[in-house]
Amino acid sequence: MTHEELEEAVPLYAIGALERSERQAIEAHLLSGCAACHAALKDYQTVASLLPFGLTPATPPNTLKAKIMMAPVPIPGAAEAEQAAPRSSLEPGEWMNHLFPPITPARSLPFRLAMGLAAAVMVLGGGYFAWLSYTQTTERASEIRQLEAAVQQETARVASIQSELQQREQTIATLKTGMEQRTTEIADLRDQLLQREAELDDAHTQLTKNDSSLQRLARQSEEFVGLFKNPASKVVPLVGSELAKSAGAFLLFDPATEKAWLYAYNLPALPSGKVYQLWAIDDKPVSVSVFGLDAGLKARRYIKNLTEFSRMKKFAVTVEPDGGLPEPTGALYLIGQN
Amino acid sequence: MEAASRQAASTIDPKLLARVAKGDPQAFEQLYDQSSTLLFTLSYRILNDRDEAAELLQEVYLEVWRKIAKYDVGRGSPIAWLVTLTRSRAIDRLRSRAAHGQQAVADSFEHPLVSVTPDVSPNPYEAQEDTELRQLMAKAILDLPLPQQQAIEMAFYQGLTHTDIAAKLNQPLGTVKTRIKLAMTKLRASLQQTLPQGEGA
Repeated sequence: MTHEELEEAVPLYAIGALERSERQAIEAHLLSGCAACHAALKDYQTVASLLPFGLTPATPPNTLKAKIMMAPVPIPGAAEAEQAAPRSSLEPGEWMNHLFPPITPARSLPFRLAMGLAAAVMVLGGGYFAWLSYTQTTERASEIRQLEAAVQQETARVASIQSELQQREQTIATLKTGMEQRTTEIADLRDQLLQREAELDDAHTQLTKNDSSLQRLARQSEEFVGLFKNPASKVVPLVGSELAKSAGAFLLFDPATEKAWLYAYNLPALPSGKVYQLWAIDDKPVSVSVFGLDAGLKARRYIKNLTEFSRMKKFAVTVEPDGGLPEPTGALYLIGQN
Repeated sequence: MEAASRQAASTIDPKLLARVAKGDPQAFEQLYDQSSTLLFTLSYRILNDRDEAAELLQEVYLEVWRKIAKYDVGRGSPIAWLVTLTRSRAIDRLRSRAAHGQQAVADSFEHPLVSVTPDVSPNPYEAQEDTELRQLMAKAILDLPLPQQQAIEMAFYQGLTHTDIAAKLNQPLGTVKTRIKLAMTKLRASLQQTLPQGEGA
């Protein structure tokens, strides 16, 4: 605000009609020592304070005086503590403290008249500035005290904000640790899940495999039973030779499909590198199949394509090297007539 | 006692305040006698409640006891100091009322700045100086145009800022500011003879 604007606002300040910020601007201006504004303010303040004289007097209750007079006399100096409490409205001393410094004792001219008017004016001027600077110094001191108090308050506030901030940081750190833990846990769970999935895949594969071997077994048994039930089927029993007297076998044959089924029992366990080989004999032996034994020393062998069954006179089983041979070379274990 | 109560509020001797500051109960009693009617009138005018006005005066005089040492004779007349203190505290109450949702003031111009027929007759218990000042002030106020009286009333007795007043009257801010300035300037001119002659002016 310019000086003119401030001077314009003085009457409004005096009657208490300014907003806080405007009030502060004027007070700062008065503190800067503007004599014209001081003089104007003094008049306007007096005018404002005389306004209640325009009212029709109202007499206070009779009891009021007694109540007030009975109040304990406060200890002089207790004013200081009272001063600390901030008030929302203008303190009575507030503006008055800004105005009219104590009347300085009349300054007698320390110079002779011979010094002339100019010198007197100079001294007066100096005195005025001394007075002004005295006032300003006093005012500055109180201003500084106020500022110091404000700074202390702000420092305390900053400290409290800082501690709050630290608390927040701690909370955030805790949350972050918690989150990291959760992330680790989630990663673990994901690993476990992947493992389970892999296991499941394995199990699935296994199951499919088991399923297919079961199906194969079921199919074979069905065919075996089918062969047995079929009245057209032919059965050739084989008996054990001198080498395996308790052993025996059946050969089932279905002429319609030319499929055969060999069931052998009580054959001796094979030495390693050897297999049993089944031969069909017309005029000379023809290899039909090679087979091993299961855990119960039994053998089941399904033969898909056994042509010219009816022409065969005999069937025999010998022990041959792994994979079998085109002609029998080993010892005879089973023999049967068609 | 009789002599004390006849002393004017407008002419309280600064020396009396100096005696009060030293803890002189008689001086305090005299201060009360000289100022209480004016201060009660003011606080009743602002609060519009006799009981609350009396309660406020109790607080004000207690504060006077406590703060009087801070009072500086050179910085304003005793009655100006007392009036300013009383007005501030009454406005504080008005605002705390408003903050508690009660109606702060009987609205606008129900209680004018002066009574419609101002009581300017001499009062036997009133000092001559006060009677004269009352008559002077009443005339000065009644000489103002009504909108200016209203603006002064709202600022001084209702504690409203120019922004509040402009909003309440639905008038431009500049108009309200001008009304207050003009009113204050005219009052200053009307009261010129009673204003202390400042040494700096």
